[in-house]
Amino acid sequence: MWIYVVRRLLYTIPIVLGVLLITFLLFKLIPGDISAELAGKAASPETIAEIRAELDWDKPLLLNFQAARQRGPMAVFESQFFIHFKKSLTFNFGRSIRSKENIATMLRTRAGPSLSLTLPMFVIAMVSSLTVALLVAMLRGTMWDYSIVLICVLGMSVPYLAFILFGQYYFAYKLQWFPIIGYEPGLGVWRYVALPVLIGALAGLGADVRFYRTVMLDEMNADYVRTAYAKGVAMPRVLFVHVLKNAMIPVLTRVVLAIPFLFLGSLLLERFFGIPGLGDMTIQAINSRDFPIVSAMTFIISILFALGNLTTDVCYAIVDPRISLS
Amino acid sequence: MGAGALVYALALAGCDSTNNNDSPPNQVVRYGAISAKVRGLDPMDIGDTTSSGVASNFYECLFQYHYLKRPYVLEPALAADMPTYSEDRLTVTIPIRKDVYFHDDPCFPGGQGRQLVAEDFIYAWKRIAYLKNVSKNWWIFEKRIVGLDEFRETTKGIAKSDMDYRQKIAGLEAIDRFTVQIKLKKNVPDIEFRLTHLPLAPVPREAVEHYGDEFMNHPVGTGPFMLDSWTRGSKLVMVRNPKFREEKYPNEGEDGDEQAGLLVDAGKTLPLIDRAEYRVILEDQPYWLTFMNGETDAAGIPKDAFDSAINSDRELTPSMLTKGINLIKHPEPTTFWVGFNMQDPVAGTNLPLRQAMSLAFDRKKFIDLFTNGRGLPARGPLPPTVAAYTPDLSSPYTTFNLALATKKLAEARALHRKNHGGDLPVLKLIIGGTDATAVQMGQFNQRCFEAIGLQVKIDNLDWPSMQDKVKTKSAQMYSMGWIMDWPDPENMLLLWYGPNESPGPNNFNYRNEKFDELYDKITVMPASPQRTAMFRQMEQIVVDDLPCIFTTHRVSYYLKYNWYKNYKPHVYGYGLMKYLNIDKNERWRKVGH
Repeated sequence: MWIYVVRRLLYTIPIVLGVLLITFLLFKLIPGDISAELAGKAASPETIAEIRAELDWDKPLLLNFQAARQRGPMAVFESQFFIHFKKSLTFNFGRSIRSKENIATMLRTRAGPSLSLTLPMFVIAMVSSLTVALLVAMLRGTMWDYSIVLICVLGMSVPYLAFILFGQYYFAYKLQWFPIIGYEPGLGVWRYVALPVLIGALAGLGADVRFYRTVMLDEMNADYVRTAYAKGVAMPRVLFVHVLKNAMIPVLTRVVLAIPFLFLGSLLLERFFGIPGLGDMTIQAINSRDFPIVSAMTFIISILFALGNLTTDVCYAIVDPRISLS
Repeated sequence: MGAGALVYALALAGCDSTNNNDSPPNQVVRYGAISAKVRGLDPMDIGDTTSSGVASNFYECLFQYHYLKRPYVLEPALAADMPTYSEDRLTVTIPIRKDVYFHDDPCFPGGQGRQLVAEDFIYAWKRIAYLKNVSKNWWIFEKRIVGLDEFRETTKGIAKSDMDYRQKIAGLEAIDRFTVQIKLKKNVPDIEFRLTHLPLAPVPREAVEHYGDEFMNHPVGTGPFMLDSWTRGSKLVMVRNPKFREEKYPNEGEDGDEQAGLLVDAGKTLPLIDRAEYRVILEDQPYWLTFMNGETDAAGIPKDAFDSAINSDRELTPSMLTKGINLIKHPEPTTFWVGFNMQDPVAGTNLPLRQAMSLAFDRKKFIDLFTNGRGLPARGPLPPTVAAYTPDLSSPYTTFNLALATKKLAEARALHRKNHGGDLPVLKLIIGGTDATAVQMGQFNQRCFEAIGLQVKIDNLDWPSMQDKVKTKSAQMYSMGWIMDWPDPENMLLLWYGPNESPGPNNFNYRNEKFDELYDKITVMPASPQRTAMFRQMEQIVVDDLPCIFTTHRVSYYLKYNWYKNYKPHVYGYGLMKYLNIDKNERWRKVGH
């Protein structure tokens, strides 16, 4: 198994490099030059040109043949891509073009607020949806099953934004059970994230319950379940030991691959509840063409995603003895 | 305390650790909301109104706007007096106050803020010129100060660690410890306004060197407030600067100020509040709900909440009045337009076409639909906030008149056939923004022009893509606007000056010899009736040539609770929090904090 893990880790390197290149090209090839904006509202053409030169935006995109002719072959790498490439590989993400904030500091200070929101939301959603799905699967064909499936479909049809607007207005403003907005690092954080966590978990419940219900029903029709009942095993044991364990492969796929994206935060919840996380930061960076931030986020998420994939494969082997990693 | 207030009090106690329900708070605290993110607090880098609004409480400039007097007048702030000029007005000498100290900060020996000296201004201005700093504010000085452009040139390629700010500049000199002298390349009539602009605030070299690139997060100025804490994107708290220079609330204002209660605190030492807490609230719903809850003292009115706050007479609804909320309306120093690229072979060469489109644009309906009536139809470049504003500019083409528009369009078609052959092609208009409102604005424009039989294709682009098209002169038409930085009309008229064409600020790529000649004159002429007459001539030239369809000037509607005192709208001044006051007892009675 260890050879497999090392091999997969080595595969990660070209994937991440490819992501770096594609992100760079996508960002540079779409129209939108912000140098005039950075130079200030009444900047002259000369000032704009100076700013472009200071930020290396006057250099060729991929390879600098002109510099190579003048200063030797190694100068061919004095291009926008290789300057960016070198910085990324050394985890020197630099500073935001817009706010000049240190990106490493931004990531460090914003990851906490994002995770304080997404992690409990993820855990609550997963546990409750799995539990409800098991119960619904157990009660399949009854009024309970139909009602819950109907509620799930209705929940899936309501836009995410509607949950937020209603939840904030009713529970925070009208009933005053929670603060309307705010964030406080440390132990006081729960007061501020409680409502967005509940809203986020509830909004995602419909899709999750339906998915897990299908997975559970597939398993509950299997021969080994009938055998277990025939041998007199009690229903809770059948459900929570036999069925749940055998349903773990699709569950793992969904759960483990979702973990890297927790780091990305939640754009809408962060904006509406004033949580200074990574979701809002990333979207604002994309909209304002703040390439260093977008690149740093893509780089980190691609690494986490590759690691998530690897973890999923390893978990498959642990959960299901029929799978061997080689 | 009434039952309602008790509920408020209990609720707020659960929401905010700063609340105290047993007795009114000891400190006078202002609670506010910021509806955009503060990008940074280094004056050199500040180019947005949100960051300016916050940073101007930490930093000050040589001059400031009188808080109450209108039209806007300047008075000394860090300067001991207004400047004196040489006979040719090319040498400006400004004495500095001797009682000003920087905020206490670990960057100073013993943590004690040192005295402000003339060299601090020179240092701050050199930072703006230093290329590596990529300051957004070089335009304030560019081509105006003797030796400064040359200094900027010498900083090319110099790393921050090797930068030597001691280099002498002929046009910027501290002639003694407390006197700054500026030598100008040409007369700059708005130099005092420029020196009032926040990016030109002095900064201490010790702080810049101590904090390095993180100076933007550690403001060390001379202003009335000091930064207490700042969680980016969430909350910013400032506290009174105990060493703030001696400054009193003004004793006089304009007519009506006394009756409005704006002189109650006359003669009192500034600042009047102890602490200000600002939350960053980016979305309209929480912004509005926190205000309605009394968690913030004042707020603008989000579009979707407008009808619940303002009635058809443009006054407060009864429910707002019973909450003790006041409405304050004032025009903003803005003008918006649909610009034409005058180098475009179709739009740029066809005046009747531009006239037809200007006549077809229904300004009133646009204002009603997109700003809930919070705007004035624009007939020319200058907004009503400048003294030279002319509401009755003579042009039949900057009003809504479909009959005349149709007639003009026929002329435009004939002219196009003559010059290019064939009928007018479908025109292309870029609207900045891809959200629902921006799309609706595009559709509105399209419908206005369709009403006279003109086909216009709308392209909704994000802001950087739109800028790219405009700055590379590849946009045919685009929607944009301008917020004036100071009340001198030159700050608006520069947008039509020929040599400023794209990528400079003249995005119309408009060129008119007479206009350029007048502009060259007003940029060196001291304020006078002749100069004001020239502004009018320049406006007239622009509305005659119509390089854009003037659409609106924005009008701000601002709400505040009764406990929030001394608020008077000021469209150019920042750092005005020192004048504001809070009746803490009244707020405590009403909302329990």
